[in-house]
Amino acid sequence: MNGFKQAKEEFNSIPVPEELQDRVQSGIQEGKARRRKAVAARRWRRTACTTAACLALVIAGLNLNPTFAAAAADVPVLGGLFQVLTVRSFTDQDADRTVEVEQPGVTGGDMAEQVSAEIQKLVDEKIAEGEQIVADYKEAFFATGGTEEEWALHDNKVTVTYEIKSQTDTTVSFVVDSAVSIANAYQEQTYYNLDLASGRELTLADVLGEDWVSICNESIQAQIAEDPDQYFDASMGGFTTVDESTQFYLDEAGEPVVVFAPYTVAPGAMGTVEFTISK
Amino acid sequence: MAQWMEERLVTFLVEEQARSYRLAYSYLHNREEALDAVQTAVCRALEKQDSLQEPDAMRTWFYRILVNTCTDMLRRRKRVSFVPPEMLDAGSYEDPLPADGSLAERVDGLPPEIQTVVKLRFYEEMSLKEISAVTGWPLSTVKTRLYTGLKKLRIALESEEER
Repeated sequence: MNGFKQAKEEFNSIPVPEELQDRVQSGIQEGKARRRKAVAARRWRRTACTTAACLALVIAGLNLNPTFAAAAADVPVLGGLFQVLTVRSFTDQDADRTVEVEQPGVTGGDMAEQVSAEIQKLVDEKIAEGEQIVADYKEAFFATGGTEEEWALHDNKVTVTYEIKSQTDTTVSFVVDSAVSIANAYQEQTYYNLDLASGRELTLADVLGEDWVSICNESIQAQIAEDPDQYFDASMGGFTTVDESTQFYLDEAGEPVVVFAPYTVAPGAMGTVEFTISK
Repeated sequence: MAQWMEERLVTFLVEEQARSYRLAYSYLHNREEALDAVQTAVCRALEKQDSLQEPDAMRTWFYRILVNTCTDMLRRRKRVSFVPPEMLDAGSYEDPLPADGSLAERVDGLPPEIQTVVKLRFYEEMSLKEISAVTGWPLSTVKTRLYTGLKKLRIALESEEER
C-alpha cells in the first residue's frame, strides 16, 4: 500500500485557502440561526394557539355569563366599586419585534377616569418609545454590517405589564412595568399609589409624616450599611437622599417600599433595588 | 440537544475544517465549490444537530453530511455542465480510468461511490464499519466497492486487511 501512502500525502498537501476559517464560521452561525428559528417557530405556534384559545374563552365567558364576568373582575377588587383591572391586553408580532401589553385601568372612585387616562398615555408612550428603540437598533445593526439572518435571530420585545403590589379598603399600590429587550434591555417601572378616601395619589409624606425624607434616608443608610459592598458608594454616585421623584409602593403590611431602578444606587446585577421603610 | 453538545460540535467542526476542505476538494477539484461544500455541510450539521443521537458518532455523522453534500454538488454539476463533443476524449465513454497520473489523480477519476470508499479508507483512515456508518451502505457493499476500486486502480489486495 505504498502507493496509498503517497496518495495520502498528496491529499494532505491540498492547500487550504485562508477563507476557509471564515466560511466555516459563517456556516456555524447560519446553522445555529436556522435551528433556533425552527425551534422558535414550533414554540411560537404552540403559544399562539394556546393564547388564542384562552382569549376566546374569556371573551365568550364575559359576554355570556354575568357571574363569570364578576368573578373575573373580582380578582383585584378593592373597597366595593374600586377596581384595578386589565383594560387592554394584546400581543402584536412582526418580523422585527413582539409587543406585549397588559394595560391596567382603574374603575370606580372619583379619580378613576383621570388615573386611567394617565396610564393610557403612559402605556402608549412606552410602546412608542420601545418601537423607536427597536427601530434605532435595527438601523444601527444593519449600518454596522449585520445581516438579515442575524437580525432574524433577535427576539426583540416591547412589553408593558402591571402588577398590584397591595390593596386594602382604602389604598391600592400597583406598578406599571415597561421593558424593551433587544441585545440589552431597557426597563422602566412606574408606580401608582392611590388613596381612595381622598381620591388622590399618595406621597411618602402622606405615609410617613413630614419627616419622611430623614426617616427614609436613615432607614436606607442603615440597610446599605448592613452590606455596603453590594451598593455604589458616594464616589460612585450611590444613594444620597430620597426626594419627590423617588418611587415607592405600599407592601401588603402597608409599609412603604422605596424603589430604585437598576444602576442608580447599585450595580446592575442587583436589579431593581428596594428598601422597606418601617414606620 | 444540550448546549454543551452544540459547543462540542462547533469545536469539532473548527478542528476538522482543513480535513473537511481537503475531502471536499478531492471530490470537486474546485476551490470555490469546495469552500461552498464545507460551509453548507457545517451549516447543515448545526441545523440538524438534534439528529445526532450519539456524541461519539460525531465524526462519522458529520462525514456523512459532508460526503452527501459533495456528491449532491457533483450530481447537480453534471446536470448543468455542457461539454462540447470535441472536448470529450474517447476514454470518457468508457470507464473513467486514467492509467497515467498519480494514484491520487486516479482515485479522483473513480465513480463517486467507489471514490468515497477509497478516500475514507485511505485518506481518513476509517474502518470499513465506519465507512458503512458514514455512507449508510451495508458493510458488504462497502467491501465490494473498496475491492472494485482497488481493482480499477490495479493495486494488489494482499495487504489490505479488514480493520
